[in-house]
Amino acid sequence: MVALKIENVWKYYGDTVAVRDLNLECDDGEFVCMLGPSGCGKSSTMRMLAGLEHISSGDILLGDRRINDLAPKDRDIAMVFENYALYPHKTVAENIGNPLRLAKVAKHEIRKRVQEAADLLEIGHLLDRKPMELSGGQKQRVAIGRVIVRQPQIYLFDEPIAHLDAKLRARMRSELKHLQQHLGVTTVYVTHDQLEALSMADRIAVMHEGVLQQFGTPAEIYSNPVNAWVAGFVGEPAMNLIACSCAQEGNAVNLMHDGFKITLDDRLAKAALSSGERDLRLGVRPENVRLTADPDDGMIAGTVFSRQLLGSDMLVDVLSGGDHIRVRTDPKSPFEADEKCYVSFDFDHAHLFSAETGISIV
Amino acid sequence: MLIEAKTSFVTVDEDHDYAARTIDYEPENRNTAPRRRFHLYLMLPAIITLAAITIYPFFWLIYMSLHKIVIGGADRWVGLKNYAGLLTDEKNIQGWLMLAKYSGLCLSFEILVGVLLAVILNNSRFEKVLVTLVLMPMMMSPVVAGLLWYYLYNGTFGWYHWLFQSLGLLGETSILADYGSALWGVVIVDIWQWTPLITLIALAGLKRVPRDQVEAHMVDGAGPIRNFFAISLPNIYPFLLIGILLRFMDNFRFIDHILAMTGGGPGNSTRILPVYLFDVSFQFFKLGRGAAIAFTLLAVTIILGMILVRVFENPAQKKALANQKD
Ligand SMILES: Nc1ncnc2c1ncn2[C@@H]1O[C@H](COP(=O)(O)OP(=O)(O)O)[C@@H](O)[C@H]1O
Ligand SMILES: [Mg+2]
Repeated sequence: MVALKIENVWKYYGDTVAVRDLNLECDDGEFVCMLGPSGCGKSSTMRMLAGLEHISSGDILLGDRRINDLAPKDRDIAMVFENYALYPHKTVAENIGNPLRLAKVAKHEIRKRVQEAADLLEIGHLLDRKPMELSGGQKQRVAIGRVIVRQPQIYLFDEPIAHLDAKLRARMRSELKHLQQHLGVTTVYVTHDQLEALSMADRIAVMHEGVLQQFGTPAEIYSNPVNAWVAGFVGEPAMNLIACSCAQEGNAVNLMHDGFKITLDDRLAKAALSSGERDLRLGVRPENVRLTADPDDGMIAGTVFSRQLLGSDMLVDVLSGGDHIRVRTDPKSPFEADEKCYVSFDFDHAHLFSAETGISIV
Repeated sequence: MLIEAKTSFVTVDEDHDYAARTIDYEPENRNTAPRRRFHLYLMLPAIITLAAITIYPFFWLIYMSLHKIVIGGADRWVGLKNYAGLLTDEKNIQGWLMLAKYSGLCLSFEILVGVLLAVILNNSRFEKVLVTLVLMPMMMSPVVAGLLWYYLYNGTFGWYHWLFQSLGLLGETSILADYGSALWGVVIVDIWQWTPLITLIALAGLKRVPRDQVEAHMVDGAGPIRNFFAISLPNIYPFLLIGILLRFMDNFRFIDHILAMTGGGPGNSTRILPVYLFDVSFQFFKLGRGAAIAFTLLAVTIILGMILVRVFENPAQKKALANQKD
């Protein structure tokens, strides 16, 4: 069942366009992430969903209700704001219970539900404090508490954990995911952090400059990005995108680069030929690049530019023909800076993008 | 001011049960006394000037209130007789009651109308122009305002009088000539002239109401009216208190428009205490008695002011203000 439907929605602020012709459908109980860099129109979309911003054109349907013209209080939506937006003069309990109080729920019922929500978020012992007396992580839990005491049709989260430190963020990711599954409420979650989206979402909507780029499961987005922009944005360390030109020599299809020439395998060759494009970008994730000291057929020569230890992996930056190729290798990798080395690509996991339009060819 | 600082940094990692390293240290106490003396010297000229212009007249006021002042002659010590006389002075007591009524009426309407106007003006499309228009009465001299309204109220050619008379709301006489309505007449002028000040103050407060809280409250299920009382009002409350403080002190001191319009009449119906004080001192030249009235008025103003400031500075208010700064 479709819980939320966004149809041809545009958002203008004067002359600036924040959201362009957005179409999106969320199923009932689904956890959808909107992913995109800062300024791509994520918050604008959320604020239109919540009723805090006028919808310039298009329709938003919640269940089968068109909610465009409803006031926020009539939309049956709960939202967590990026900066928590707690009421400073109210206690934690009053903050969490506020939506229930406004809905005229009986006092003892409010107390019960606030306690439940607080226990779920492990802030049961903080109920009498004021927001000023809380840490960032605790404030954030209160903001979430204010949302989960209700059973609205949809939860909206606008970068709720962006301001927490990395460690706490990692823990909150898992807790939020667990909470959403437990409560089963349809959720739209906005983030600029691709790791957050990949790890939490059932489906991800990737946005760029107000335009929806791709909407799919995390696996789809990661393995089959529809264009070079999505490919480069999702995944850390980022995918290598190497500009080459395509040339046919006899039976072989080669990619020519200033520093090297590589022969494509059947799958890529076929796609490259049928696209008819000459200028291509080869996309290979760092984990699909192999690094060796001994040259072999079809390998690319380069020098080690830098190496970074990522904990369980080592990221080696190889310079070849003026381009940097990122390689993810064993942390015990023996390569030192300025050392000569050879790389090869795993074509099964490689992508080709049109250099001109960025659209994925394969 | 001597500040003794004991600083303690405690970092607790939220992810772990154990507390991380803590450091306690007390910075060595610097000797601040010579420094403070130096500051005192720097401030001395200002303090002396201040003393000359405020403290001297203050003591002179007390001196006068304890004497029978004979202009051109020798003052005669009368002790507390001037004050004792006030207790039995019917006009003095009436003056106090009337002052309370006058100030209460002025303040409540000014707050009510001022805040309402501020809410309407806030974020309206023509805010800048409208605010300038609304502020105009405030820029007028109170005496001029008094005279202006005196003419508007006038029974024979007053514009407003004519309007309300045509509507059947008023009779032949000006409302300033009627015992029952004269006080309202001067109250309206004060409201007309000083509501803009409250509007201005409330508007400044409204600008600082955190938008995210308003929005969160709307999403929580509140309509605009609940929003105002739950979020905006607590936020502009400290600002309003400043407005109330200013206005109530003005009510106790400024009588220009009353003197211009009624001079305390008809009968004593607009003779609030400061007007009576003016009469005693400068019509009947009982300067000693006048000084006694002035001193009690001053004392009450200061006490009420201090109570207001105390309310204003209570911890909850301070917290609310501090929060706004985040
Ligand atoms: N109230 C506003 N007035 C004018 N422009 C705005 C306003 N809010 C957002 N924008 C613009 O719209 C674009 C999208 O903003 P936003 O939706 O906040 O992005 P995001 O949340 O993805 O960072 C940005 O270019 C931003 O500058
Ligand atoms: Mg945003």
